[in-house]
Amino acid sequence: MNFRLLSAAATLALVAGMAQAEEVRVYNWSDYIDEDLLTKFEEETGIKLIYDVFDSNEVLETKMLAGGSGYDVVVPSGTFLQRQIVAGAFQKLDMSKLPNHKNMWDAIEARTAKYDPNNEHSINYMWGTTGIGINVGKVKEALGDDAPVDSLALVFDPANMEKLAECGVHFLDAPVELIPAALAYIGEDPDSQDPDVIAKVEPVLTAVAPYVQKFHSSEYINALANGDICVAIGWSGDILQARDRAAEADNGVEIAYNAPSEGALMWFDQMAIPVDAPNPEAAHKFLNFIMDAGNMAAASNYVYYANGNLASQPMLEEDVIGDPAIYPNEETLKNLYTTSPYSPKVQRVVTRLWTKIKSGT
Amino acid sequence: MAQTVFAPWEEADQKPLIQFKNVTKRFGDFVAIDNLTQDIYAQEFFALLGPSGCGKTTMMRMLAGFETPTEGQILIAGHDMKGVPPNKRAVNMMFQSYALFPHLTVAENIAFGLKREGKPKPEIEDRVDEMLRLTRLEKFGKRKPHQISGGQRQRVALARSLAKAPKLLLLDEPLGALDKKLRQETQFELMDIQEKTGTTFVIVTHDQEEAMTVASRVAVMDEGQIIQVATPADIYERPNSVYVADFIGDVNIINGHATRAGDGYDIAYAEGTGKLHAKTTTDLGNEGKCALAIRPEKVSITAQKPAKVTNAVKGKIIDIAYLGNLSTYHVELKGGQMVKAQTANTRRLERRSFTWEDDVWLSWTDTAAIVLEG
Amino acid sequence: MRRFTLIAVPYFWLLVLFLVPFIIVFKISLSDTALAIPPYTPTLDLSSGWEGIRGFFAALDWENFTFLTTDDLYWKAYLSSLQIAAISTLLTLLVGYPVAYGMAQSPDEWRPTLMMLVILPFWTSFLIRVYSWMGILSNEGFLNQFLLWTGLISEPLQILNTNKAVYIGIIYTYLPFMILPIYSALEKLDASLLEAAEDLGCSRITAFWLVTIPLSKQGIIAGCFLVFIPALGEFVIPSLLGGSKTLMIGKVLWEEFFSNRDWPVASAVAVILLLILIIPIVLFQRNEQKQREAEGQ
Repeated sequence: MNFRLLSAAATLALVAGMAQAEEVRVYNWSDYIDEDLLTKFEEETGIKLIYDVFDSNEVLETKMLAGGSGYDVVVPSGTFLQRQIVAGAFQKLDMSKLPNHKNMWDAIEARTAKYDPNNEHSINYMWGTTGIGINVGKVKEALGDDAPVDSLALVFDPANMEKLAECGVHFLDAPVELIPAALAYIGEDPDSQDPDVIAKVEPVLTAVAPYVQKFHSSEYINALANGDICVAIGWSGDILQARDRAAEADNGVEIAYNAPSEGALMWFDQMAIPVDAPNPEAAHKFLNFIMDAGNMAAASNYVYYANGNLASQPMLEEDVIGDPAIYPNEETLKNLYTTSPYSPKVQRVVTRLWTKIKSGT
Repeated sequence: MAQTVFAPWEEADQKPLIQFKNVTKRFGDFVAIDNLTQDIYAQEFFALLGPSGCGKTTMMRMLAGFETPTEGQILIAGHDMKGVPPNKRAVNMMFQSYALFPHLTVAENIAFGLKREGKPKPEIEDRVDEMLRLTRLEKFGKRKPHQISGGQRQRVALARSLAKAPKLLLLDEPLGALDKKLRQETQFELMDIQEKTGTTFVIVTHDQEEAMTVASRVAVMDEGQIIQVATPADIYERPNSVYVADFIGDVNIINGHATRAGDGYDIAYAEGTGKLHAKTTTDLGNEGKCALAIRPEKVSITAQKPAKVTNAVKGKIIDIAYLGNLSTYHVELKGGQMVKAQTANTRRLERRSFTWEDDVWLSWTDTAAIVLEG
Repeated sequence: MRRFTLIAVPYFWLLVLFLVPFIIVFKISLSDTALAIPPYTPTLDLSSGWEGIRGFFAALDWENFTFLTTDDLYWKAYLSSLQIAAISTLLTLLVGYPVAYGMAQSPDEWRPTLMMLVILPFWTSFLIRVYSWMGILSNEGFLNQFLLWTGLISEPLQILNTNKAVYIGIIYTYLPFMILPIYSALEKLDASLLEAAEDLGCSRITAFWLVTIPLSKQGIIAGCFLVFIPALGEFVIPSLLGGSKTLMIGKVLWEEFFSNRDWPVASAVAVILLLILIIPIVLFQRNEQKQREAEGQ
C-alpha cells in the first residue's frame, strides 16, 4: 500500500505544477495503461500529463471524499463510483467536448448505467472479471491432473487449499470481490445486501484463510510471474499480465486465468472527473483521447483487459479479442454477475467480517 | 633524639615487596620502560617522578596489571606477576580521574571491592564506616559522587582503594585535580593515612614538590629509565646528574673544566676569570669537563667582596624576581654566565639593598656547589 | 524578549504540529459518519453564526468511543500492537547494544565512519528498504535461495507475510534509533571506571554488568522508547511484510479509515492510540528529567 509515496508524489507534482502552463492530473490503477499513450497525449495536445497510480478503490475513495485531491481524472470501479456520485464527488460530463463518445459500446453502457444512471458522470475504461489465476505446473503438481482449475472449489475447498498452501495462494484484499465470490460458491445471491446472508460466507472463508499466504491487491502479479505463488484470486487482466511477464522472463512459469464456472464478478472501471478538478477542460480532452478507438485498442492490447469501446475492437490483437478470458463469449457472459455498493451499516459488517476472516480476530 | 630512621633499602636483610627485574615495555616502536631494575620495600612511600612520557605511569600500570612487561619480570612479595590479572592482585589503585562509579553512592563505591570478595554484609558495613572515618567522610556516605566537592571525591577514591587493605596502593597523580592549597593539605593527610594503615604507597607524580613532601624515596625518571633513587633530601642536596639537579628545584649550572686540587676540584668556567673551588667525593680523574650545580639559596649576594670565602665572583644585577618571602636576583658574571642568588626578604621592599644594574659580589662556600660530570 | 522568542519557537512547533492536528482528529472522533465530502457530520459552518456553532457542538458525542468497547477487535489490536512493539524493542536492544558497544570500543579514527554506516540506510527511502526486505525474505528470495544452496534447509522457510518478517522489519528500520543513544552513553563512559572495577576485584564480565550496563542505562531507556513508540503505531511494515494474521492497530486504523470510510471511528481509534502512547512518552520525559537532575544540571 504505497499510498504514502503516491500522495507525496502528488503533492510534489502540485507544487511543481504551479509554475507550469497547462496540466492534467490522472489517477489510475497501477499497471493499467500502455505508457506510450501518455507521451502520445502530451504530444497531441501539448498538455503536460501527470500520471499517478493506486491499487485500491478504498484509497481512491478516501481521497475523493476528503476532497481537494488535485486530480482531474480518476478511475473508480462501478460500486465505488456509485457511492461517490451520491456523495457529490464527480461532475457531470460535457458530452459536447467528447466527440469520441460515439465509439462506446452500448452493451457495456447498459450495464454501467446501474452505477452511473445515464452514464452522466463517467465513461467506461476497462472491464473484466474476477477469477482465478494459476501456475499450471505447480497446481498440477499439488492437486494432480484433474484439479478443479475453473471452479471456486479450487480456492474455497479447504482440502484443495491445504495442498496449495505449500506453493502459495494470494487473495485480493477486497471484501467486495471475495464475499460475492464466496456467496456464489455456496449458491447464494452474490449481490446480497442482507447481513445474515453475508454472514454465511464466514465459515467458508475462515476455513481457507489459514492457507492464504497474503491478502493483497497488486503483489500477486509479480508473485505469480516469479513463481512465488501458485494460485491467486485476482482480476483477469492482472493475471494475464502475470502470464505475459512470466513468458517474457522465460522462467518456466506458465500462468493461466479462469473465470469460475459458478459465476464470476463482472466489474467496470470508470473514468470520471472530480467535482473540484483543477482543469476539467483538459480532463475532457483526456477522456476524449482515451475514447479514440486506436488509443483504446492500444491500451487493451497492452493490459489484457476488455474495454467499453466498440470501435476499438477491429484493432485489437487476436490474443485479446479472441481470448474468452478477456472477451467472454455469450455463454460465459450469462454467467457473470454484477454487484451494488453496500450501505454504510452493511459495509461495517463486511469490513469486520473481512478482518475476522483474515486475522482470526 | 634517638629515633630509628626508616630506611629498609639500606638494610641488607630486608626483602623488597616489589621487584622490577630488567623490565622493558614497548608499545610498537616506542620504548616506554627500558631495561629497568628497581626494588621497593614494604611500608615505603615511593614516588615516581618525571616529566610526561617518562614511563612512570607505565610502571604503575604494570604493577596494577593493566599492562604486561614486554621483557623482564615483576615480583610482588616474591611472586612473579606474569599472567595475574588486575582483579587477582593484592594491589589497589587510586586513579588520576578518581574513577568513582557515578551511579553508586560514596558508601557503595567504598564497598564495591569488598562486595566482590563476598564478605558478610555486617563486616562490609563496618569496614566502610571505618574508611569513611579515616577519610573524614562520615556525613557523605549516602551522597552520589557528583554531589560532593573535588577534595571529598579524592578522599572517596582513596577510601575505596584502601578498603580492601591492599599490600600495595598505587596512586596515579592523586592530587593533580586539586587546587594548590587543598593539595598541600591533602599531602599531609596522605602521609598520615599511609602511616596509620602501614600500606606501601607508590605514587606517580610530575610535581616535584609533591614528591619531595610525601615520599620516603623519590625515583626521578627520564625516557624509560630511573636516573636516581634517593630520599628527598639526598635528591635535592646530592643529585647524581645535571638532569636530576635541574629537574628538582631551582639550580645554577656552571659548565667548566675541573682540575684536582686538595679535597676537591678547581673549576675554570670562563676566560679571564678566577677559578672556583668545590669540595667533593665525585671522582672526575685528575682533570675533565664538569658541571657545577649550586642552589640559588646557597649563593650570598653582597655589595663588597666578602672576606674569607672560597668562591666570590663579581657581577651585575640584570633582573630581580620578587616572590614575597624571597627575592631571586639574576646576576650576569663576566663572560656572560648567569647565576641566580636567592635571599630571604627579611626587610621591607623599599629598604632593599640592591637594585637593577648594581654591581654585586656573589659568594658560596666550597661545599655549596656539587660537582657533576659535564 | 529574545528569550521569549526562543521559547516560543518550540511551543509554536508543538502547537502547529501536534495540538492542532490532535484537536481536529479529536473533533472528528466525536462526529458521525456521512456519505458526503468530507464523509462526516457535523462540519463547522461559520456562516450561520452563533447558532451554527452551538448546533455544531450539540451534535458531538462519545458514541464512537463507546463503540470501540463493543467489539473485542480493538482492544485485541491494541494489545497485539503493544506485544509486537515490546518484543521488537527487546530484540532491537539485543542487536543494537553489541553494535553500539563495538562502536564505542573501536579506535577513535574509525568512529565517524562507523557512525556514518549506521546512519547510511536513512539515505534511501524507507519504503524502498522495506520493499527490498520483501525481496530478501520471500520464498524465492535471496535468503531462502542462499539457505537452500548451503543445504541448511531443504524447503524454503516461510518468513515473509508472518510476524517474523514484521519483527525483522521493525528491528532493521529502528536499529539506528537504538544504537545511537546507547553509543552516545557508552562513548561517554570513562574507560578508567572499568579498570577501577577490575582493580577492585571484578572480572571483565562482572565489570560489564556492574559498570557498563548501569552507566549506559539512560541510553538503553532512550533507545527503547525511540523504538517502542513508533513501532506501536507502525503500519507500513506490518502491511508490507506481515501476513493477514498480523494484527496491529495501525492496520485497524487503516481499515476504519479506508474500507469503512468511517472517519469518526478511525479518529477515535487514533485518539486512544495517542493516549496509550502518551504514557510511555511521559515516562520517557520523566526519565530524561531525572537524568538531568542526576547529572546536576
